[in-house]
Amino acid sequence: MAQVVLKDVVKNYGDVYAVNHVSLTVEDGEFVALVGPSGCGKTTTLNLVAGLIPMSGGTISIGDRDVTDLDPKDRDIAMVFQNYALYPQKSVYKNLAFPLQMRKLPKDEIDKRVQAAAKTLDIVHLLERKPRELSGGQQQRVALGRALVREPRAFLMDEPLSNLDAKLRVQMRSEIKRFHQDLNATIIYVTHDQLEAVTMSDKMAVMNGGFLQQYDSPANVFANPVNMFVASFVGSPAMSLVPLTAVTKGTDVVLASPEGWELPLNAANAKKALSAKSNKVVLGGRHSTIKVHKAQVPGSVPGKVYTVEPTGDVTFAQVFVSGAVVNVSVDPTFLLRPDEPVFIEFDQNRMHLFDGETEMALKLAD
Amino acid sequence: MTAITEAAVTQRKGAGGWRWSGRIFLLLLLGFTVMPMIWMFITSLKTGFAAMQYPPQWWPSEPTLENYWRLIDPSGSVGRDFVQYFLNSVWVSTLTTILAVVVAVPAAYAFSRFRFPGRTFLFFAVLLRNMFPAVVFLVPLFILMKALGLVNTHGSLILTYLTFGLPLAIWLLKGFYDNIPVQLEQAARIDGATRFQAFFLIVMPLSTPGIIATSIYSFIGAWNEYIYAYTFLTRHDQMTLPVGIQRFFSENATDWPGLMAATFMMSIPVVVLFLVLQRYFVRALTEGAVKH
Repeated sequence: MAQVVLKDVVKNYGDVYAVNHVSLTVEDGEFVALVGPSGCGKTTTLNLVAGLIPMSGGTISIGDRDVTDLDPKDRDIAMVFQNYALYPQKSVYKNLAFPLQMRKLPKDEIDKRVQAAAKTLDIVHLLERKPRELSGGQQQRVALGRALVREPRAFLMDEPLSNLDAKLRVQMRSEIKRFHQDLNATIIYVTHDQLEAVTMSDKMAVMNGGFLQQYDSPANVFANPVNMFVASFVGSPAMSLVPLTAVTKGTDVVLASPEGWELPLNAANAKKALSAKSNKVVLGGRHSTIKVHKAQVPGSVPGKVYTVEPTGDVTFAQVFVSGAVVNVSVDPTFLLRPDEPVFIEFDQNRMHLFDGETEMALKLAD
Repeated sequence: MTAITEAAVTQRKGAGGWRWSGRIFLLLLLGFTVMPMIWMFITSLKTGFAAMQYPPQWWPSEPTLENYWRLIDPSGSVGRDFVQYFLNSVWVSTLTTILAVVVAVPAAYAFSRFRFPGRTFLFFAVLLRNMFPAVVFLVPLFILMKALGLVNTHGSLILTYLTFGLPLAIWLLKGFYDNIPVQLEQAARIDGATRFQAFFLIVMPLSTPGIIATSIYSFIGAWNEYIYAYTFLTRHDQMTLPVGIQRFFSENATDWPGLMAATFMMSIPVVVLFLVLQRYFVRALTEGAVKH
């Protein structure tokens, strides 16, 4: 296994930049998720690492080798595709043997490795079958097997779970995670599902519009999103964002809404709010840090219930606050009705503030 | 018993009515296509006299294979000519097919996979040739072949047939390649194959049904072609079957049984090709080779 380093990688089609100056380092044995909405450049980035499309600029190295100008076959990587890309005319055995045959390994060595990979993935009984005779989950395993059999320097995975049904996806999710732990493999994993990224990866690279937005551990991305895009993309339900105006009142700073209510900020938040480029400040809060009251309490702001979604353990609700939708969660015994007026209390220590102009997170200067 | 039968009949009447009218229609259509062939075969078994009898005999009173022996007997002049025409046809059709496939496979693959400037225009230009009736090009092509010194050679026919066969072949094969996910080649390239190996080891085998279907279309097109062969070839030893068997017509009389026997022989290779390879057609139609 090896380290993968992307340096200032660019892929453009004329004026359209699919990947815009992306730099990131995947450490040896690390599981990195490239995550973002469709069209964000994550799959293009993966294809650049694989060498399937030519780069417009920058360099990529795998291990101590610069692979920027190498063919895919010379990069010593393995890839798992969204549609598995199993060779339909070949049996499972031959699918697994193909990468080894291409590397001209002796026959008995090929057999040994194929059997070993098949055993690891519990597909020994499927070796003589053709891919079309397998279920989706089995095809997925064969695709993993074909990647595993060669002992490559890095694994690339392009949305490998998105063609599976929900139940199987959860099962395969833990199997891939196990696969990573057992092999101590370097994995770059593309997904549009932030939950997959959060649950599986050591680090996640959040992309949007061809730009790398944030590259950090899921916990840090979750706790300290660098901008409004990351804040609203990671977490389910999404972080709620309410655009407000920062107003200084004597020694206090409050966030004022067009409706006339004001939310006083504590000292740290006040300092953050004042560091914004203009007085436009966006208040962000995750559902777990927001309390819902039926009557006004100090520090709470008025809202109106929009929808109520009981899930059993917890009831999610959407509340309109100053025209924005705020996701909240309450105990199932706390009954809410649509259109009911409620009061929302943000946790001052865990709320997020963003610059309304630049959409970047407001931080205290160190 | 009757009650059950009646119930079953009433139950199925709605769909059954359509089914039966459909079957009757197909039966009529079948008769329409098969009758001439049967009549061709029956006539080929008759003597010259019996063939002209009126009212016609549905089955000859003295069936004979004499007409067939005459065609394949190398000692007679008819036999010598017929065998020569047959070999000429096989040569021209086979070479046309091989050349068409050899050129069409990479061309179709390129049209399917690569985005290059002028791709749409070129693809349309390729098909343009097939949007005109064949006769339109007869005189221009004859002049061209004359200038190239190709008149009275099989090369003139092969080149001409390629101008029809190749666009069709490219168009058919492109459809096949479009249906093969590009990820298969990408997987192969990552697994250690060169671009060419990925095509040759993974994509080509998957497009075999398409290549076979394309080959048959090309072969039949060349095998049956008449007007160009009639125009470009004047020497007897060069003629292909469709032109050659015209010699059974003469100014005074037509050897109908001989003509029918020759026509029947001519249709045999095509029928055999279809019978042997029809499973590829079916597979090409039903399987689609890969799941998306």
